[in-house]
Amino acid sequence: MIDALNSATTTALERRLVRAALLGSAFGAFMLGGLCAASAQTVTVWSGYPEMAPFYEHVAQGLKAKNPNLNVKVEAIALREHEKRIALGLTSGVAGATVIELQGSTVRRYIENDLLPKAPDAVANFVKEKANFDEFFTSNASFEGAVYGVPLFRGQAALYYNTDMFKEAGLSTPPKTMEEYTQYAEKLTKRGADGNPTVSGWSLRLTGGGQGIAEKFWINLFQYGGSVLEPTADGKWRANYANEAGRATLKQYLQNVHVLKTVTPEMPADAEAFERGQTAMFIRESWVIGDIASKAPNLTYATAPLPRGSIALPTNLYVKAEGADAKAAWDFVMATNEPENLTWLLKNVGWLPNRSGVDYSSVTSTSPAFGAFVNYPKDYKFFTLPSIGPIEEVLTRLAAQLTNAFRNASLAKDDTAIDAFLKSAADETNQILRREGLLGK
Amino acid sequence: MFALLALLPTLAIFAFVRIYPIGDTLRLSLHKWDILSKNKPFIGFANFEELASDPLFREALLNTTIIAFGVLLITIPLALVLAALIYHRTRSRLAGFYEAAIFIPHVVSLVPAAMAWKWIFDARLGPLNALLTSVGFAPRSWLFDPVLSVLCVIVLCSWQALGYAVIIYLVGFKSLPTSLYEAAELDGASAPQRFWHLSVPLLKPITLYVSVVTLVSGFNVYAQAFVLASDAQGAPGRQVRVLVLDMLENSFRNYRVGYAASEAVVLLGIVLILTLVQFRMLREKGRS
Repeated sequence: MIDALNSATTTALERRLVRAALLGSAFGAFMLGGLCAASAQTVTVWSGYPEMAPFYEHVAQGLKAKNPNLNVKVEAIALREHEKRIALGLTSGVAGATVIELQGSTVRRYIENDLLPKAPDAVANFVKEKANFDEFFTSNASFEGAVYGVPLFRGQAALYYNTDMFKEAGLSTPPKTMEEYTQYAEKLTKRGADGNPTVSGWSLRLTGGGQGIAEKFWINLFQYGGSVLEPTADGKWRANYANEAGRATLKQYLQNVHVLKTVTPEMPADAEAFERGQTAMFIRESWVIGDIASKAPNLTYATAPLPRGSIALPTNLYVKAEGADAKAAWDFVMATNEPENLTWLLKNVGWLPNRSGVDYSSVTSTSPAFGAFVNYPKDYKFFTLPSIGPIEEVLTRLAAQLTNAFRNASLAKDDTAIDAFLKSAADETNQILRREGLLGK
Repeated sequence: MFALLALLPTLAIFAFVRIYPIGDTLRLSLHKWDILSKNKPFIGFANFEELASDPLFREALLNTTIIAFGVLLITIPLALVLAALIYHRTRSRLAGFYEAAIFIPHVVSLVPAAMAWKWIFDARLGPLNALLTSVGFAPRSWLFDPVLSVLCVIVLCSWQALGYAVIIYLVGFKSLPTSLYEAAELDGASAPQRFWHLSVPLLKPITLYVSVVTLVSGFNVYAQAFVLASDAQGAPGRQVRVLVLDMLENSFRNYRVGYAASEAVVLLGIVLILTLVQFRMLREKGRS
């Protein structure tokens, strides 16, 4: 009886155990499945350059082999919208792992306000390694000695010129001095029966989005030895264009627009005009090479370094994420800097990678237009925008002033009026710096 | 009590989406409120003092005022005349067609409409210059000349505002007492006399409503100016700087939300004053 009872109890117990085991297994399998699903990570890339989207997708494809669960979402929008997205996104909180592409000059205010974290040690060591990056790029991605971002690419300017138009005008070499730029522009301009230009000799940035006008002005100003802002001994900044260099630069714009009429604000401009044969030469960054390859592959053109030096605007990648998400995001950032990916970037997008020690010859040998960007004279100088909070405001307001000046024909032959204009604009720049406590002595 | 309770949800939503933002904008305007900075100190009226000497704000304010009044001056008389013509002259089935044709621009999406007008005003390829040159006039740089580009925005805004004003006036015409017109006709008043001495005074409340709405929307002009006169490389520059554009730039480009809020307060003040003045003027005229 007892045995029977024991046997019955044992059977019931066994049954319960089997049921529990089955339930446990099912629950375990469910949990495991859940864990597998949870291990699938999504990294979102915020880019301000739509042409960079294929690059990030290419990097993501490469990572698939190593990490099949990694899902990379690229959100590339126009630069100004991208900047707004970052400002609102970082202040209101970003969900998940986000890789943020940002210019070094813009990022400082985010770091100062603890809105972006430092890079992990392994990443920081990679960036600090001299064999990987020039000091210029390392410091651009750092703040107070700590690395926050990984340098990726830079905007650097050079002259693009239509070789057929040069030949037609009897010109065999690119201009080497700023004086020659105007002389060449005059020879290269094509005019209609009414004398108005139909093809501009030199497409100057006279209109368009605000900051770009001031940046392009700064590039030309730099060739004359000036700069929009200069650092002062007390570690601050002041305007540096109400001077001889500023006068020469503005006068050159005005002379081309109003006196020689080699270009007008209404004319098609920039890369688009160059690709359509509506301008003979213009100054722009290396991405135009990729743009020409896709939109005007039969265009005959060459590039040349600028007389004294160029702007160099480094763009870095930063991460906003925590824990495992952060690791996945930094892994993605590091993958963007792998030599194979950087070569792909140069070849297919055209932006110049910042990493040293990578052999880019497979690209530069087949696309000679990159020559001016990588093979520049030894004494070639570079400048960049200062990493200060109000840099965009300084440039946007200067651009508004310049747009008015470019329209003002009465300034063209009046040096006193040009000086007065430059002084007024520089006062406004200094006023912005003073308001932010950044005006140096 | 029941009515108040029934209205409560609507009032709460209104307070949340309308009243609270206005109050908060007033608060922000008195602070150095940077989006990114943790420190947002109270600075009193410093933002307003800076506005007074800001050339971009002055330019934006002037342009916005010119556009708002320009649109008002074009829209009101034109809408009144068109509504009168449609109401009195077109007894046929075509009246509906005219109403629809005039109203369509008001419901067309702003950006595509502005893009179409941008093409019309294009200095090289636009039909406007083609028309001008075909009759012997010199082509003009419509979107590059600062004065002409403001005029272009006025034309575009008036084109869009006209349909709405005409429809409102038509409603007004339909509500006017026919006996007065019959009496005037018997007294030998001509159609223009009936329009001027009967329709115009009787439609004053409609005129008040339409002019307030037109002026307020004129002061809020943004997309039309932005699309017409900016922004891609090689496109016309920001010749038409308007208040809303300046606010947007100060908020999300320069991150100076407090400063932009002080601009918004000035805009609110202007619209409020103009609306009160219009109400007062028309009320006094009504009494007299």
